[in-house]
Formats: sequence, structure tokens, C-alpha cells
Amino acid sequence: MLGTAYGIVAAWDWPEKAKIFPLAIGIPLFCLAAVEAAWSLLGSERRGGEARDFQLSAEGHGTRRAAVAVAWMLGFFAAIVLLGFPYAVPLFVFVYLKLQGRESWTLSIVMTVAVWGVFYGLFDRLLHLPFATGWLLGFLR
Amino acid sequence: MIEALFEGLALVLQWKALAFMLLGIGLGFWVGLLPGLGGATTLALMLPFIYTMQPVEAFAFLLGMHAVVATTGDITSVLFGVPGEGTSAATILDGHAMAKKGEAGRALGAALASSLLGAVVGALALALAIPVVRPLVLTFGSPELFMLAIVGIAFIASLSADGARGMLRGFLAGGLGLFLATIGQDPQAGVARYTLGTLYLWQGLELVPVLVGIFAIPEIIDLMVRGSSIASQLPAGQVSKGAWQGVRDTFRHFWLTMRCSLIGTFIGIMPGIGGSVAQWLAYGHATQSARNAEERKGFGEGDVRGVLGPGAANNSKEGGSLIPTVAFGVPGSTSMAILLGGFFLLGLVPGPDMLTKHLPVTFSMVWTIVLANVVTVLVCFMFLNRLARLTAVRGALLIPVIMVLVYIGSYTSNNHYGDIIVTLVFGAVGYLMVLGGWPRAPFVLGLVLGKIAENYLYISLARYDADWLTRPVVLVLMALAVVVIVYPVVQSRRKVARA
Repeated sequence: MLGTAYGIVAAWDWPEKAKIFPLAIGIPLFCLAAVEAAWSLLGSERRGGEARDFQLSAEGHGTRRAAVAVAWMLGFFAAIVLLGFPYAVPLFVFVYLKLQGRESWTLSIVMTVAVWGVFYGLFDRLLHLPFATGWLLGFLR
Repeated sequence: MIEALFEGLALVLQWKALAFMLLGIGLGFWVGLLPGLGGATTLALMLPFIYTMQPVEAFAFLLGMHAVVATTGDITSVLFGVPGEGTSAATILDGHAMAKKGEAGRALGAALASSLLGAVVGALALALAIPVVRPLVLTFGSPELFMLAIVGIAFIASLSADGARGMLRGFLAGGLGLFLATIGQDPQAGVARYTLGTLYLWQGLELVPVLVGIFAIPEIIDLMVRGSSIASQLPAGQVSKGAWQGVRDTFRHFWLTMRCSLIGTFIGIMPGIGGSVAQWLAYGHATQSARNAEERKGFGEGDVRGVLGPGAANNSKEGGSLIPTVAFGVPGSTSMAILLGGFFLLGLVPGPDMLTKHLPVTFSMVWTIVLANVVTVLVCFMFLNRLARLTAVRGALLIPVIMVLVYIGSYTSNNHYGDIIVTLVFGAVGYLMVLGGWPRAPFVLGLVLGKIAENYLYISLARYDADWLTRPVVLVLMALAVVVIVYPVVQSRRKVARA
């Protein structure tokens, strides 16, 4: 509701051509969001209307395990920003396998080399994808 | 015409054209498997290489590559829950759910067999429809195409969740998708809308990072939380079976597969609707084909019909989208726009000449689509059950590989860190939607259709003012939207009354 309210207010002063679609969608969306909010607050059932989609299959979502998963994702992103893909990819694969997966040294090293090999051979050498230099490495250079 | 049909086949079977087609298939196979590397991007990258080729060889190469991208994209979607292509995201909903139940082989078999059937239907449509498609395309102006987008969202929103509240959430999700599609520079007035002061958002939200985030991130978190393999504790022997069961499923639901193929072909024919839409409409139709609410409940939890519909539509749309490209020079999608560039590079002009003077070349395209899919499906079947075994590999070994693919896949959209941030943000949105029982399909369809719908609405208003609402096909589509919304409500009421 808040998001759509912001969208409507922000669009109000735009030229006619620019605001017609955001308003045509935003106003009904705000009304629907208000109904959903009222349903959640006043309805007898908290849940209902379950989506035909996959269900999270384990207990413990929203708890420590999920937080750890999110931390790994954010950590990988931080490594990419700081070091760039070419260094972050092998570092992440190895550290994840050793710390989170508790895999053996041999398997961790073999898998890291394999993933890095595919990354380097396919994306860097063959496809020449322009991976940015990490901020930290750029700063040190 | 029959002569030209066989001449087209003979042209494709010449050793050079066949070799280029196989090369294209090989490239398309890997592009489809890798998330983020889109078919359109690869077509653009390969376009400079066709300068020295003959038209038949060039189309065998380009179309051979493009025709199999959607087919192999389904493999990544089924096995890892990561969309290999933007056009194979809908396969995740039931395909990956099947993989988690230990039915990866069956899901892959169904996806590949339905893809093949869809490709044949699309190619047949291309062969048969060229002389008759002109009036159909001309009937659909901007108002009708706008209403078609609205019907699509109504269709998927009303069917993707249970009951009145589910429908409300479906429409909210679809509306949110449409709303988020307005982010970026407005095409008419040039206003920067909801860009939060960043340059990155001026071009709007890129589809691939959003799709990868909304589908892959929740799956990865779930896999990490479970700490097991994708197929949990099921024995490896069980997960590596069932590919033929999937093929049998395709023929058991033959008419559903055919109908979804026709939906894909129709969407492909309509210029500007885009390939990502066909899969969701087909998924919606597959859901609707369930005989009762009880049967419908299985969708999203691993119903093979949820794999067959998008699988067929994804591939049939290619033949469909070639129709306006070849016949009128009006590309039906981004990929077709790039292919149109190929026509000009080769000195061919789409239009009447392609249906008379160059008819064998046109038919060679039909054959390329069919042969490329036959080859791909046969090759895949040779190691399909082995591929399915990947779902029995420990999550700890798979997660870093999947995450590397996810991050590279989203980064390649713009080669910007913003792509990864978008993936992470929409990953959080997707996770919360799954946690709260909100449907993701209408959200994605809204996002896909948003820009197209806005464009068509603007043209409709500018050209016809409010009169566009009274056009006959618009009225029919409006009535269809109302039926699509009301029917599940009536069905649900009847069920309550019976109980």
C-alpha cells in the first residue's frame, strides 16, 4: 500500500504521457492492496488463498539457517565487488565447500579448480565477458 | 508448393548447411543451459559470422541455434530451479517441484517431448499459415494487443492461487509487476520514473536479473536450509529414472500439449508480445484444464501438465514468430528482430519474395526448426537420466556452482553490479512471496507485459481516444477477461454449495 501510494504521489506531477499508465495501474493496485490489508487485519483467517507454487520444504525458514544462507549470498556479492569475479569465484567456491559444506581438502580444491576453469575458459577467454576489476584491487593498483 | 517444401528439405540436408546447423545446435545447447546467456544475445553475437554464408546455411546456423535454446533452457529450470532462459521460467513451478519429489527424469522427458511437439506445431504453422495469416495480424491493432496483455494477466492471476483471496493476491502480484515495469525512462515524454536517482534504473528493470532472483534465490535458500540434495533423501536409482514416463505423459495429455503449442504459435505471430508471455499463458491454460479444484491443487507441487504446457508453447512460438518476420518483415520478438538483420545482411528482403521467389529458403527454415529440435531431443535423451542424477548430488556441492551461475547470469545482462543487486532484491521478494503463499507467476507476467501494455495503451489513446474501447475484438477480449475472472469464483461457489 505504501509503495503504491508513493508511486501515485510521485507520478501525479509528471506530464500526461508519462503518468497515464502508472496511475492507471497504481490507483486500482492501491485499492486492491487496501482490501488485502483489511483482509489480513480483520479476516478470521490469517492465511488463505495459497499460491500454486512450490512450498518451502523445511522447517526453520526465517531462522538461523535461512540467515546463514542469506549471509553467504551477501558475502559472495561483497567478494565480487571488492575482488572482481575472477578472484571472487574460486575464493567463494573453496571457502563455501570447506566451511559450510565441510568437504575434504582434496574435493574442495578439485571442485574449485574445475569451477574456476569453466569460468575462466568459457566466460573470460571464449565469450570475453567484460568483468569489472574489484574495488579493492583497483584501489591497491 | 509441395515441390518447394521438399526442395527446402534438400537444401538443409546439404552437407555444408547441415554442418552449420549442427554447429548452431551445439552453441544453442549450451546457451540454453547457462542462465543469463540469452538466445537473442547469442544471435546478435553470431550475426557477423554469416556474411560469407549462403542464405540456407546462414538460417540453418542461426535458427538451429535459436530453436534449441528454449529446449535446453528447460533442463536448467527443472534440475536447479534456475531459469536457463527468460522463456523457460514457467517450467520451474512444476518441473523443479517434480525434481524435488525425485521425478527429475520424468519432468525432463516431458519437457523435451513437449518441446519437440511444440516445435513441430510451430513449424507446421509457419508452413501452412503464411498465405492466411495476413488478415489475422491486421485485425490486431494496438487496442487489441493491449487487451490481449490484460487478458493474459487476468488469466494467470485468477488461476495461480486458490479462492477469492488467492485471486486478489494474484491480481495484486500482477499489478505490482505491471507497476514495476514502469521504472525507467518513459518512452513518450522522457521522464525518469522511479529511478531513485540512479542512472542504472533509467533503462528499467532488466528481465533476466529479476527472473533469476525471484525463482533461483528462494530455491537456493531452501536447499541451504534443508542441507540435503535437491531430491532430498530419495535414492539415486529412483531419481535417474522416468524419462520415458515423461514422454508417455506428453502423449497422455496430447491435446493439452497441442493446445499449448497453438497458444505459443498464436503469441509468436502477434508482433511485440514477446516470447516470455507464451509460457505463462500456456501454464495458465494447463492449470485451467484441471477438471476440478482438487486436481488443480497439484499445480505448483509437481504436476506434469505444468511442465508440458510451457515446454510446448516455448518452442512453438518460434515458428509462430517467424511468420510475421518472413511474410511482412515485422519481427515478433527481439530475437526475430535480430534475425531480420540477418535477412538484410544476406541480401534478402522479407515479404512477398520470400513466399514466391525464395519459397524453398522459407521452407528450409521450417525444416531447420524441426530437425534442430529432433537432433537436440535425441541427444538429450541419450543422457537424460544421467542429468537427472544431478538432483541427487549433495546440496553442499551444488550450491556454490549454482550461485556462481546465478551471479554471472544476472551480471551479464548489463555487465553492472546493479544487476546482481536487482537479483538479490528480487530474490528477497520471491522468498517472501513463497513464504507468504503469494503467486509469483502473475508478478513475472506483469513485469514482462508492462512495457508492451503501456506502449499499446498510449498508441490506442493517441490514435482512437476512448473509442478504442468499442472495437469489436476489444469487446470480445474484455468479455473473455471477465469470464476468466468470474469462472473460478463460480466454480468455487458451486463446490461450496455442493459440500
